[in-house]
Amino acid sequence: MNTQKHDFTAAPVQIEELAPAARFSLRVRPDGRAALAQALGLDLPGGIGDRTADGGREALCLGPDEWLILAPEAAPLAKAAASVYADAPHSLTEISDREITLRLSGPQVLDLLASCCPRDVEAMPEGRGCRTVYDSATVTLWRDGPTEFRMDVWRSFLPHVLGLMALTKAELQAGL
Amino acid sequence: MSRYRITGRGRVDHGATVSFTFDGKTYQGLRGDTVASALLANGVHLMGRSFKYHRPRGVVTAGSEEPNALIGTTRGPGRFEPNTRATVQELRKGLVTESQNKWPRLSFDLGAINDRAYMLFSAGFYYKTFMWPKSFWDKVYEPFIRNAAGLGKSPTEVDPDRYASRNLHTDLLIVGGGAAGIAAALVAARSGARVVLVDENPEMGGALLSDPAVKIEGQGAWAWLDDKLSELRALGVRLMTRTTAIGYYHQNFVALCERLTDHLDTPPANAPRERMWHVRANQVVLAQGALEKPLVYDGNDRPGVMLAGAAQTYLNRYGVRVGDNVAVLTSHDSAYHAAFDLADAGSRIAAVIDTRRDIRTDLLDAAKQRGIEVLRGHSATGTKGRLRIKSVRVNPVQGDKVGASREISCDALLMSGGWTPSLHLFSHTKGSLSWDADSNTFLPDRKTEACHIAGAGRGLWGYAAVLEDGVKAGLAAVEALSRTAQPRDLPVENDRPGTGVSHTELPTDRSPGKAKAFVDYQNDVTAKDLRLAVREGMRSIEHVKRYTTNGMATDQGKMSNINGLMIAADALAKQPPQVGLTTFRPPYTPTSFGAFAGYLRGETFQLTRKTPIDPWAEAHGAVFEPVAQWRRAWYFPKAGEDMHAAVARECRATRASAGIFDASTLGKIEVAGPDAVEFMNRMYTNPWTRLAAGRCRYGLLLGEDGFIRDDGVIGRLSDDLFHVTTTTGGAARVLNMMEDYLQTEWPDLNVWLTSTTEQWATVALNGPNARKVLEPLVEGLDLSDDRFPHMSVAECTVAGLPARLFRLSFTGELGFEINVPARHGLKLWEALMESGRAHDICPYGTETMHVLRAEKGYIIVGQDTDGTVTPQDAGLTWAIGQKKPDFVGKRSLSRPDIVGKGRKQLVGLLTEDGSQLEEGAQIVLDPHQSLPMKMVGHVTSSYASATLGHPIAMAVIEGGHDRMGEVVHVPMPDGVRRARVTSTVFYDPEGARLKA
Repeated sequence: MNTQKHDFTAAPVQIEELAPAARFSLRVRPDGRAALAQALGLDLPGGIGDRTADGGREALCLGPDEWLILAPEAAPLAKAAASVYADAPHSLTEISDREITLRLSGPQVLDLLASCCPRDVEAMPEGRGCRTVYDSATVTLWRDGPTEFRMDVWRSFLPHVLGLMALTKAELQAGL
Repeated sequence: MSRYRITGRGRVDHGATVSFTFDGKTYQGLRGDTVASALLANGVHLMGRSFKYHRPRGVVTAGSEEPNALIGTTRGPGRFEPNTRATVQELRKGLVTESQNKWPRLSFDLGAINDRAYMLFSAGFYYKTFMWPKSFWDKVYEPFIRNAAGLGKSPTEVDPDRYASRNLHTDLLIVGGGAAGIAAALVAARSGARVVLVDENPEMGGALLSDPAVKIEGQGAWAWLDDKLSELRALGVRLMTRTTAIGYYHQNFVALCERLTDHLDTPPANAPRERMWHVRANQVVLAQGALEKPLVYDGNDRPGVMLAGAAQTYLNRYGVRVGDNVAVLTSHDSAYHAAFDLADAGSRIAAVIDTRRDIRTDLLDAAKQRGIEVLRGHSATGTKGRLRIKSVRVNPVQGDKVGASREISCDALLMSGGWTPSLHLFSHTKGSLSWDADSNTFLPDRKTEACHIAGAGRGLWGYAAVLEDGVKAGLAAVEALSRTAQPRDLPVENDRPGTGVSHTELPTDRSPGKAKAFVDYQNDVTAKDLRLAVREGMRSIEHVKRYTTNGMATDQGKMSNINGLMIAADALAKQPPQVGLTTFRPPYTPTSFGAFAGYLRGETFQLTRKTPIDPWAEAHGAVFEPVAQWRRAWYFPKAGEDMHAAVARECRATRASAGIFDASTLGKIEVAGPDAVEFMNRMYTNPWTRLAAGRCRYGLLLGEDGFIRDDGVIGRLSDDLFHVTTTTGGAARVLNMMEDYLQTEWPDLNVWLTSTTEQWATVALNGPNARKVLEPLVEGLDLSDDRFPHMSVAECTVAGLPARLFRLSFTGELGFEINVPARHGLKLWEALMESGRAHDICPYGTETMHVLRAEKGYIIVGQDTDGTVTPQDAGLTWAIGQKKPDFVGKRSLSRPDIVGKGRKQLVGLLTEDGSQLEEGAQIVLDPHQSLPMKMVGHVTSSYASATLGHPIAMAVIEGGHDRMGEVVHVPMPDGVRRARVTSTVFYDPEGARLKA
């Protein structure tokens, strides 16, 4: 999956850029949620921050009527959603290119995140996600494991985010 | 090693010498020393000159409250720091330090002439001296004051160090790693809560580090400390030393500054020098302890005069005796222990001079045992010794009567005026204080934050009391966290409890008006200055403070505030709380700018957004300009071209054949849902219902006030889907405004908004040959004018990429805007460049874009509008859907002042002499009117137009639409220009070129 590795060393954190996948912002009212879930073949979790995954597709609930949907391919998903539009009006907007996803991992990944993210990331359970900020950039953060995260960063904010991460990484390598 | 250092004593490493320099001279200290303790070990007390009078000064304290021993430190180029406290800076190999505020040298300072002229530099000196004549202010007074202001030299080089920041969430933050803080942590750590314990010192322990004889739980203080700190570590408590809690803000947000490398001989590569921690704590325990107060008497600032607690610290923590023959002046029991410890360590105690008559018998007995003379009910009335104290003059005091003086020789004079609870952080929270008349001090009262105050910080004294209080605070914090913890008994032996009394100036048999009795050492404020301030009418402590500068130095009055207040209150014959206490403000101790800046400097100072096509622009020599957060290509100069020449070429090339422009920064919002068209009708001024799918339209967005907020071309992709574009700077603002209306005003509408600004890379192609450039790359769409007329939109394939293609123009030429998924932006650009080669395609930047649009009279929101321009003012009445029942701002457009005469309206301007006007230049109707002239408007846009061969300008002018053909006058730096009012459309007014 990885197209571009920013780093090959093991410690203390790894910052990798993931290859693009299809990404959608889904907005639908509660009464249309079940219809969309069925069409997309994916349970749409009800609690903000909750995630589900099925057959390579993933959903993250970001708001009472908002989900982030990931899929290997865009077209089938868009088609499936369109088929229920008349009964369950919604907005399914492709944003595959809006963000670039980083995979962040390594024993000190929590320190890396704490350097610029004011949220209590340590307390965030595995398998959840949230919309938050990294310095002044809005990002979506997915916790995949104790020291495994994905971070979706708006494309033009990425150099700034990576610049900050490089500083923090050097700081962590210095060991102080 | 010097005879002042006691081998084997203290917490320093006697096996590890560290050499450093002070004012060019090399000294040896030990690992674990501060600069101050190492100098004292070498018998050096003189460490600085005072601010105003340049009086010789020695170290007074052993901590961060030090007012005198401020030094410059250096570690190579750019790493000079002034005003470092010698009591805080730890020794490191090769540390270079220097004293401050002296010339030519510390021991002989010509500035000390100010000390002779003492009577001239009274309170309010600046206000009284630098008054008249007014003309002296700029040339004489201000330069003089600026020259005299501040202590130490400002660094002139860029700081090469890194600074870091980190966020930290915790259940409990404990500030202060002394007895109370550790006790609180011991209790809380077992509850399972996340606990952080911070201390500004290099090691935890607080006063226990200076009181090794105390026993807790049957162990010596230091062994107990080792044990308990290991226990805390094992329980997962985060222990942070060299970390100062500098500010306590709303909702238990506490800022910590951690010093990481200043103590290291060789910092690791890339290590940050300091780190600012942003702590969000559920509960906070403040266990900051208390600061010792000096006593106020003539000559209380000579080198060798210091706080008794400081001398005890130098002895027990650093193994340094501060003198051979030490006198002790006190109004508190605690100083006796300093005297006893020093006596036991081999110093002679010249005398203990106690201001009190009644003294605890156990203290008197212990003194007697050591052969120490105790003078009861005595005052100090003077000291002698220029660069080091030689003697102190003492007098018995009986009631108001001051008896005959006696001179006591000494080489150090320890003093204790009692202890002030450290209320700084509590005060940051705006918690209220109450005056405790018994101890003559303020104590924390009503709390505004979830915090608990423990130990000496709330006026308690003695380790047993403080430990018990720490346990209590820990339990309270745990309870507030809805967890449970067990109380813990921490019995103390050899405790050192104590009480004291507090004073204003000590009584004297000499003229109090001549006494140099210092209250604020750092700002050289004396008791006399404070009394003068009161005599001259200052009633509030806030005024007294500012008039005298008492407590206004970098130590923020840690030593002077209470003494100053007591004296001011005495002079006013009021109780201290009626005079008030000045406010403590963050930071608790001086903090470097670097720590505040953190990562936000250099490349990461501010976020800079770049488009997918930016690398091409950079490779092709573009000059960039910032637009909102973006950097955009401004123009593309060829060899030898200046901006004027480059822009003229770009404009001509676009009008003649084809120009290409990176428009990716335009804001884009997808408006989707069954009610999309209704939403658009309500938001924008234009009518949208009859806009067919596949067509687009210029949209105008107003605020409720009817003034223009944003604009952009909007395409209808299907009945339920609009592709909205906004200005580059307006993207986030417009989306927020739309969301605001949608969520609060029209939650019933089935429509959703998604920002797609960064989903698409956008390339604008303009010029008579634009179609010829584009056509070969397009699949699935007929680009002919019949099938794809001006203001059309379609989804198709361009250069093999899925695209949203608009036919629109911001130049007045045949134009297209091609949107492709952002990752392909560069590929699209390169394909168009390749296809355009045959047509001399010319990349152009924002400047050419501005010129071309101005030639057509197209406005730029924020340049030609300023938040007070209505659609009518801007000549955009045609963009208003007159038949629509409502849209944002509609009602305001019929307000009397909006429809009335005399509003500033957007017009074109052409100078009669063909010169170019300045943007922002003011406009007058009659240049011969008397001053001040009535200004009727200003120039909003002005460019040299290569197409037209003369400059053009746009302006807002009162009643401008009715002044067509009139001449107005524009004052410019080199004279007044006559300009004729014209239409804003300078080029191709029929719009024939658009329809090519």
